[in-house]
Amino acid sequence: MTALKWLFALLIAAATAASFWAPPAKNFSDPELARIIFFHLPCAISTPLFLFFGSWLSFKYLRTRDMAWDVRAAAANEMGFILAVLTMVTGIMFSKFEWGAWWNWDPRQTSFLLVLLLYGAYFALRAAFSDERRAAANSGAYSVAAVIPAIFLIFVFPRLPQVVTLHPLTTITNRELDATYSTVLSTLFILILVLCVWVYRLNVRAGLISLQVQERHGNLEADRGHPANTGVVRPISLSDESRA
Amino acid sequence: MNSSWPAEIGAIFMKEVRSELRTRNALLSSGLFSLVAVVAIALASYGRQIDATVGAGLLWVTLLFAAIISLPRLFIGEEESGTGDLLRLMARPHAVFWGKTLFNCLQMVVTALVLSLLFLTLVGLTVSGVALYLVSLIGGCLALSFAVTLCGALVANAANRSALAAAVAVPLLLPLIAVGVGAVRASFETGPGGSAALSVIGLYAYAVLMAACGPYLYAAVWKE
Repeated sequence: MTALKWLFALLIAAATAASFWAPPAKNFSDPELARIIFFHLPCAISTPLFLFFGSWLSFKYLRTRDMAWDVRAAAANEMGFILAVLTMVTGIMFSKFEWGAWWNWDPRQTSFLLVLLLYGAYFALRAAFSDERRAAANSGAYSVAAVIPAIFLIFVFPRLPQVVTLHPLTTITNRELDATYSTVLSTLFILILVLCVWVYRLNVRAGLISLQVQERHGNLEADRGHPANTGVVRPISLSDESRA
Repeated sequence: MNSSWPAEIGAIFMKEVRSELRTRNALLSSGLFSLVAVVAIALASYGRQIDATVGAGLLWVTLLFAAIISLPRLFIGEEESGTGDLLRLMARPHAVFWGKTLFNCLQMVVTALVLSLLFLTLVGLTVSGVALYLVSLIGGCLALSFAVTLCGALVANAANRSALAAAVAVPLLLPLIAVGVGAVRASFETGPGGSAALSVIGLYAYAVLMAACGPYLYAAVWKE
């Protein structure tokens, strides 16, 4: 397992080095600085993957009410949020170097900002509940509902006929990139995705352990005769005799 | 619990109508907000003609905030007045969602009509395609009502719920605004056309999708 990790680290290092050695692309105004798309594009493609995966996991939680699914959903959304932030940062830098301004209100730039707001609202909703089950259910429902605007923002809005974008739309589909360039891009995409999945799995494992510790702590408290600390205050009813 | 779906939905709807008629809280707040927003826009653009794109954008942003101010109050009000638990005992979640959404729809359509009338009069814009304008406004009101009702239900038990309602609803509704602006702009400029039809379809598609998933998501958080 350690050897596999070393091999993966070597591959990442080699691909990063190759991103600087690859010949500059021809279709950009500043080809040397346009190399940031080696990192921008994999992050931009991976973000919706984690977003939709998180929504699917939330849906599984709403169906089963098993907190393990919520832990997985939160981890997927956290990974997606980090990728969305990285996409925004690299995109803003690309925008400055290639289009002359940090922010151009380009439809794709703007739609990604709105995706980031969707993630922000998910985490704000999660943080607003002290009861974990309530937080899981409400944020899970929001995550499922957010799929509708996310599909519109990522796939529909930038492709509407009246929308004009600065983003190159056909560079990859028409194979306008140099073979070396596209090989490095594909390799980095796979490596970044593998890295994200690895971090996601570590996050899930940590979340599940934390869940088990909480459950065990609750059981121990119950064994000692104390009520489990659930964070929920339930109403009680008093009989007429005890009132008297 | 043994009553039929329409009766149950109708009962929830009538409950909301009666409470609103008693207090006039939501209509007053959204009506006053509409008036203040339109006067502010007219004052800010004093002496200048607002073009169709800016006018459509301003109208939709005002509608969005009018919806966010008044619509989530239905669920938040239930929790604040302590009647939420009684509602949980008395009605099925789908009926509660539909009853409250129908009331929200009615309230939103009234607000949108009043707001439109004030906006068009004070800002001085003329509508070339009245049918397109009305169809897009009603489609927008339907979509706004479904989405904001769901958001209101999601934040009803949260800490700092009033501020959170806006933070949660706006990202869900911004795509709707983008589509709605396209439809209303076309109604100001030339009337129905290819892109206007696409925008109207987008508005109604959004409303249908929210209507399809809203009740199920609401039912999922209903008894938590």
